[in-house]
Amino acid sequence: MFRGFLIEILRSAIESIKANKLRSMLTTLGIIIGVMTVIGVMSIISGLKKNVATSFSQLGANVLYVSKYPWFSGHKTREEWNEIRKRDNIEMKEVQALKEYGTSFKYVSPLIDRNLNIERGEKEAPEVGVSGTSEDFARIINQNVNLGRFLSKDDIKYKRHVCILGQDVVNTLFPEENPVGNKLKIQGRQFTVIGILEERGEMMGHSMDNVVVIPYTTMAEFTGTRRSSINIAVYAENGEEAREEIRWILRGVRNVKPEEEDDFSINSSEAMINQFNQLTKTIFLISIAIAAISLVVGGIGIMNIMLVSVSERTREIGVRKAIGAKSSEILGQFLMESVVICLVGGFLGIFLGASLTKLISIMSNGNLPFYIPIWSIFLGVGFCCSIGVFFGYYPARKASKLSPVEALRYE
Amino acid sequence: MNELIKMKDITKVYPLGETEVHALRGVDIVIKKGEFISIIGPSGSGKSTLMHIIGCLDTATSGSYFLRGKDVNKMDENQLADIRKEFIGFVFQDFYLLPDVPAWYNVSLPMIYNRIAPKERKEKAINILESVGLKDRADHLPNQLSGGERQRIAIARALANEPEIIIADEPTGNLDSVRGEEILKILSDLHKKGKTIIIVSHEKYVAERGKRKIYLKDGRIEGKG
Repeated sequence: MFRGFLIEILRSAIESIKANKLRSMLTTLGIIIGVMTVIGVMSIISGLKKNVATSFSQLGANVLYVSKYPWFSGHKTREEWNEIRKRDNIEMKEVQALKEYGTSFKYVSPLIDRNLNIERGEKEAPEVGVSGTSEDFARIINQNVNLGRFLSKDDIKYKRHVCILGQDVVNTLFPEENPVGNKLKIQGRQFTVIGILEERGEMMGHSMDNVVVIPYTTMAEFTGTRRSSINIAVYAENGEEAREEIRWILRGVRNVKPEEEDDFSINSSEAMINQFNQLTKTIFLISIAIAAISLVVGGIGIMNIMLVSVSERTREIGVRKAIGAKSSEILGQFLMESVVICLVGGFLGIFLGASLTKLISIMSNGNLPFYIPIWSIFLGVGFCCSIGVFFGYYPARKASKLSPVEALRYE
Repeated sequence: MNELIKMKDITKVYPLGETEVHALRGVDIVIKKGEFISIIGPSGSGKSTLMHIIGCLDTATSGSYFLRGKDVNKMDENQLADIRKEFIGFVFQDFYLLPDVPAWYNVSLPMIYNRIAPKERKEKAINILESVGLKDRADHLPNQLSGGERQRIAIARALANEPEIIIADEPTGNLDSVRGEEILKILSDLHKKGKTIIIVSHEKYVAERGKRKIYLKDGRIEGKG
């Protein structure tokens, strides 16, 4: 009948908490806040991660970007930055070399990005991300064309003034007509629209559709005679293998001596996600620390209130002992009480944390999905039980060690 | 086995600051099964201490105590708890009921520690309440009941695990003489049904109910009758 006994002490714990509702609620505040923090932060981070993972995958999951600069600087000193700035520019010869020698990747495409103004008559689209690239780029980032066509080999070869528009640009410049075949001006130069890109949505609150694609050969007109570094986009099924091969080809082309480090960076959306995870890990650890502090404070509150409870109920403990309760049974009773108080706080905390997340999700217009990881709930409940046992043990033990005669005499 | 309780040369010494209090100074008692005993003495005579030791709530400083042939001095805390649970029922002057739970629950309390199933507990508690005439008060809280009723509930609680011995410490101390008489009658009835009853009191009319009396003074037995 041990189960019956457990139910009994559970019942008596609930009774005693009900008898002191306000006191129990105030006591458990620290626990509530602690658990709320844990659940809230975990949910928000998990939601962010999901969001970021889908966003970054739009950059192309299997795409490597070769650039002069790394996307993430990490913890670099001023000297290290100067080294990076002194690197040789990446130019078309690197693209040629990758095309010629590469075996582990299919498509290679140069990528030159500029923010340029686009006009059509009275209408203007300022600061549009214009990418100069080659015919393979659509396949590299898995970009479909909705209307018209993408760049062709000949567009590149003959440096044609043709462009493919992103949906945002279409909305601004051609609100009510089919842009394909129409003309517009990019930084004063006339271009013919040959296609419209499929919508890509947002990434981290930044529209991916405010873009225009033109041949990289034509792009040279905007960048002028001053030669600047370009980027190279590479599509590779096996990222690690491709990364190694790219390194060796580029080191050869750029005459990097064996003892020297790479003078270029190979970036990927995967690396970006890793970087992001690194960041959230820090946020996560900080919030865990905050939660831990409030849980400990909450635990001390529990201990305090349990000590009060034991002292108030000394007589009851005496009676229970007189009618045959063992010390272990008294210990169990008071431990149960403190665990139940903690669990009540825990469930309230979970509820409030979930509500908070929901609220943030609504306020962010769905940019942050409402998502509560199940394990965070288990973690919250587990935390509460441990705190209940840990901080309830001392008062419960004190209760169990009372001598029956003295407990009965207690006024 | 007729000798239920056999005490020899029991002493009890409490430390009190720098000095010591000798509550019992060598007490010999033999109580047989089914007896009705009164322990009488003025306050400070050591009768409460003696009652606590008989009831296994406390242990003697020296001397020997055999309960049902077993050496109580050799028992550990858990074994003493088992003795209290199975063989002894206490009735206190101040009733000592739990205030927040109904009468029947108070009565069922000792059965919890005897691991009786909840349903059976309630049934049994209500039966015992019926035997002390309080079946209709089963769902009342203690503060909704009169002093006499509370003491009857306390007696019902003492009976919950069907103990051989009932120890009543000034059971009428907080009651008027009519209610007190009711309580004493219930105890007498229990004696007639074969329970061993030990009443501790300083009041003559209460002590008179005992079939055998033990007078205690300054921690010693002064006389028997």
